[in-house]
Amino acid sequence: MAQPVPFQKKQGRVAVTIVTGQAEALRRSKPAQSSMVRKVWQHRADYAYVLPAIVVMLIVIAYPIYYTVDLSFFMTPPGLQLRDKTFVGFDNYTAILTSDVFWTVTWNTMIWTLASTVISFVLGFATALALHRSFMGRGVMRAILIIPWVISAVAASYIWKWIYHSDFGVIGAILVGLGITDRPPNFIDSVGTVLPSLIVVNIWREFPFAMIMMMAGLQTVPEQLLRAAQVDGASAWQRFWHVTFPHLSNVSTVTILLLAVANFNSFIIPWIMTGGGPSNASHIWITHIYELAFGRQRWGVASAYSVLLFIILMTLGYFYVRALSGEKKKERGA
Amino acid sequence: MSTVAETATTPTRRRRRVDGWRWAGRIFLALMLFYTAVPMIWMLLTSIKSGFAAMQLPPQWWPAEPTLASYQKLLDPTNSVGADFLRFFWNSLFVSTLTTILGLIVAVPAAYAFSRFTFPGRNFLFFSVLLRNMFPAVIFLIPLFILMRWVGLVNTHGSLVITYLTFGLPLAIWLLKGFYDNIPIQLEQAARIDGATRFQAFVLIVMPLSVPGIIATAIYSFIGAWNEYIYAYTFLSKNEQLTLPAGIQRFFSENTTDFPGLMAASFMMSVPVVVLFLVLQRYFVRALTEGAVKH
Repeated sequence: MAQPVPFQKKQGRVAVTIVTGQAEALRRSKPAQSSMVRKVWQHRADYAYVLPAIVVMLIVIAYPIYYTVDLSFFMTPPGLQLRDKTFVGFDNYTAILTSDVFWTVTWNTMIWTLASTVISFVLGFATALALHRSFMGRGVMRAILIIPWVISAVAASYIWKWIYHSDFGVIGAILVGLGITDRPPNFIDSVGTVLPSLIVVNIWREFPFAMIMMMAGLQTVPEQLLRAAQVDGASAWQRFWHVTFPHLSNVSTVTILLLAVANFNSFIIPWIMTGGGPSNASHIWITHIYELAFGRQRWGVASAYSVLLFIILMTLGYFYVRALSGEKKKERGA
Repeated sequence: MSTVAETATTPTRRRRRVDGWRWAGRIFLALMLFYTAVPMIWMLLTSIKSGFAAMQLPPQWWPAEPTLASYQKLLDPTNSVGADFLRFFWNSLFVSTLTTILGLIVAVPAAYAFSRFTFPGRNFLFFSVLLRNMFPAVIFLIPLFILMRWVGLVNTHGSLVITYLTFGLPLAIWLLKGFYDNIPIQLEQAARIDGATRFQAFVLIVMPLSVPGIIATAIYSFIGAWNEYIYAYTFLSKNEQLTLPAGIQRFFSENTTDFPGLMAASFMMSVPVVVLFLVLQRYFVRALTEGAVKH
């Protein structure tokens, strides 16, 4: 490797360009046809660093995606005797889109994702704002608030299942004690209340994440700007709305997207607490797919569901990447 | 608007003006603390009750006869419950540690390359790595299950380590890249001028500086693997192989009324990650936000 590889990084760019500027110019003037191959060859050593990561990802990601798409066009007998699968074209897809369960589950997923994301974000952001000023016991308070996010979702589900218990649950006992109801309500055993009850659990686990992100974001808001606004007579609300909030738009976008994806993909809380019941009232896409595949062994239909999910997530992913790279561009311009 | 000008100049008055917001903030914080802490406190209180004391209406707000029987039962290797629990605990520890170590070995060079080198396809590869985060376990579950069965890894910890690696990798790479981005490149340039190879500069200069990032990423992978449920639940069916989340789920689907035991198990399952998190909180929070928030 005689050719010195220039350090092309943000920080070092200016200095490096001065040194290698001429070489760079020479290289650019070469004919274009072989330039891609040449470039790859020149950087061959770089790939060694990422190769292990790529290989692992290929085996466990690219192959499964291909396999899922393939399987979604087949009907499979139960018991995973995959040699006996029969090609059925788009039948799995039409079966899904014409079933009633599909629409119930989709509706549930939308409510679950939207409510969890929006409320977690608002609560997390508000907590971050309230914790921004330093006071006695702030560190302790922050640590306690983050714990629900660290513990396992399985533990969280069992804790809340016990709290919601229809005979001995603590919330029911309080409601009865205060004389609000005669007997403890069935939070997770009745169609009407199950989804909101599960959303409360999910928010309990998710808002600390929004809080951490927004706390870090708040630290980047320049103090001078806030003080200048204050001198100009802006009220606390105006300072927040016109200075703090616009400054946090990028962090907010990334946080909301990550929350939305995490909520869309959540499985453990509904699965452990209700298993999707009663009568599908708490089934969301992921739990439904799981049940189709591993419960009823309808692998083809479950795969078709996965492919649909995949398409939805790719759309979300597009915005995710755009939000991330948009940030980069801004940073570079600044 | 003369009052505004005054309040801006005199600190005592200004504080009074903000009081309304400050009180709102305090009350809000108190409510959030209540929401966060009460379930955890109730878990602890239930875990030190007897099975009979837990099943009462109205409940015993404070256990009348606190007992550590549930903990003793879970930690006693001579009875079947305790033996199972300790086995699950050990399995979780083994799988999580192995995942963390292997993950770092793969993620550190990759993150460094994504941070420092400009090779063709760098952005494409980086974003495709990130995109993995978008997809739920379930999408990969069916084909992976079939794949694992095909290579004979079902019912082994190997199947878990391999899958945990991949879903931990994107995040690990992202977190570590954030750290490398913040290490001044001039340090490596100086090392190169002094005659170090690129690899030497990486190992001798950058690696020691990125220890906080590596610690943070390690905690993150460990907690992720420790808490993972769906793959463990699907890939493992033999009792002696199960990790804690799947093991507890399977155990208590058979003993549905032993809530003190369940709460004690949930508590002990949370202890390692919460302790780890509290001790290394600084690194952890910093790592998570480094990627999304640039200083």
